[in-house]
Amino acid sequence: MRDVFIVGVGLTEVGKRVDVALRDLAAEVVVKAMEDAGNEKPEAIVVGNMLSSLVEQENLAALIADHTGLRGISGFKAEGACGSGGAALLAGYSLVSSGLFDKVLVVGIEKLHERPTPDTARGLAYAADADYELIYGISFAGLNALVMRYYMDKHGVTREEMAHWAVMMHENAYHNPYAQLRKKITLETVINSPVIADPVRLFDSCPLSDGAAAIMLVSEKYRKLNDTPVRVAGIGNALDSPDLSSRFELDRFIAAKLSTDRALRMAGVSIDDVDVAEIHDAYSIVAAISIEEIGFAERGKAPRLWAEGRFRPGDKPVLNPSGGLKARGHPVGATGIYQVAEIAMQLRGDFPGLKVGGEVGLAQNIGGVGSNVTTVVLRR
Amino acid sequence: MTTIQRIWRLRNRLIRLSGTKCQDCGLVTYPPKAACPKCGSRNLIEIELPREGEVLTYTVLNIPIKGFEQYAPLIIAIIKLGEAKVLAQLTDVKPEEVRVGMRVQATIRRTAPTLDGVVPYVVKFKPIRGEEADLKEREAEALTA
Repeated sequence: MRDVFIVGVGLTEVGKRVDVALRDLAAEVVVKAMEDAGNEKPEAIVVGNMLSSLVEQENLAALIADHTGLRGISGFKAEGACGSGGAALLAGYSLVSSGLFDKVLVVGIEKLHERPTPDTARGLAYAADADYELIYGISFAGLNALVMRYYMDKHGVTREEMAHWAVMMHENAYHNPYAQLRKKITLETVINSPVIADPVRLFDSCPLSDGAAAIMLVSEKYRKLNDTPVRVAGIGNALDSPDLSSRFELDRFIAAKLSTDRALRMAGVSIDDVDVAEIHDAYSIVAAISIEEIGFAERGKAPRLWAEGRFRPGDKPVLNPSGGLKARGHPVGATGIYQVAEIAMQLRGDFPGLKVGGEVGLAQNIGGVGSNVTTVVLRR
Repeated sequence: MTTIQRIWRLRNRLIRLSGTKCQDCGLVTYPPKAACPKCGSRNLIEIELPREGEVLTYTVLNIPIKGFEQYAPLIIAIIKLGEAKVLAQLTDVKPEEVRVGMRVQATIRRTAPTLDGVVPYVVKFKPIRGEEADLKEREAEALTA
């Protein structure tokens, strides 16, 4: 396998982007990533996206390539629910490391505000088991709520401890020009917010987001396209059951652990080496389990640690300086690309929000309720 | 919205509560799988799960997904049934009465219509109360039906 480098990144502001068509949102980040990579064109494009069928558009690779002057290159879309971005990175990485291509552009995009919210919410629930879960009308928030109650009961975690996560994410996002929710909140904001799916409250949840992100992956031959190339030192993906019923343990995401182990082993680094990470906090419960499966906290302890002030700038590791899915936002199929682009910028030193720096960074993108997880380790 | 095809395919499993049991490692799984999630064996048999169990965790949805609005607040639980766990709707109980560890039993009920307008029946779970209370409940149902 050949080494793979990030030589270009492009992000757009996350939010309600009804002003821009899908193809133009994609074009913005494709152009930014190419410009960041010395205006070099890719030989292939891989698109991470979950629900473009909601905007009646599939065949995204062709649409985006054609719209951005890349007609004739190779490409396809990769899907893994909320982990679609990670799936696209895994495919893009493989295309470069295998030697099939030297320059691959990985683009994540999602447009969730094109349809009424009930349609979008139903679409998001397609990440679950349609035959055995969706048939009862449970939403994606509901599935996470089942895990949250089980986890809090089992580990004796308090409502207030859980709430600290959202407060911290809003503090971090306040500085991020790409973030959707750039306002600080208090514990009371979280604890008094409306119940969506008991015990999940509005502020335990990420917002509905539109957004796009792009990353240019290249082989050694093209690493000089950027003055500060960042090496993709390790990448790992793992799958678990889309249904919750057949999970061995309801308070664990085994796929998050497996994908972390694979990425760390490939990178030849230990978890203690990680300076900064972007983790997948679609709900505060997902943040807790992700942190524990990665190995930043013991099982059942993550909320206590973040309530005590851990994982903030100055700590090691710093978690989600972007504001995370909670406050940067969660443009589903683009989220995994945002995370890796943000970590690359942290290591390069040019992230436009909270700068934390570091030598080793990690990003974890989770699809479904922990059923399709990609973990990426980056090194300066 | 679900389809009539899906309901028809699942009709036995959704009513009989079928799981699969691995003949090699003994793991019982719901939903049924084509191979064992633990050991990978394809040597599985379909078994009927017990119809009584206890609530492991639950949620109350103020906003169910589209098509299920009529059931709000919708109570969904993961129920321990023998060696398996089953995600299903709770019925005949108020949200504030639900508890982790509560004993429940399977009952066959209508659910949201399919895209084609067919009203399917699925298994839901209701609390196990005294037989007398149960009888009263059924009488009340018969009256309102």
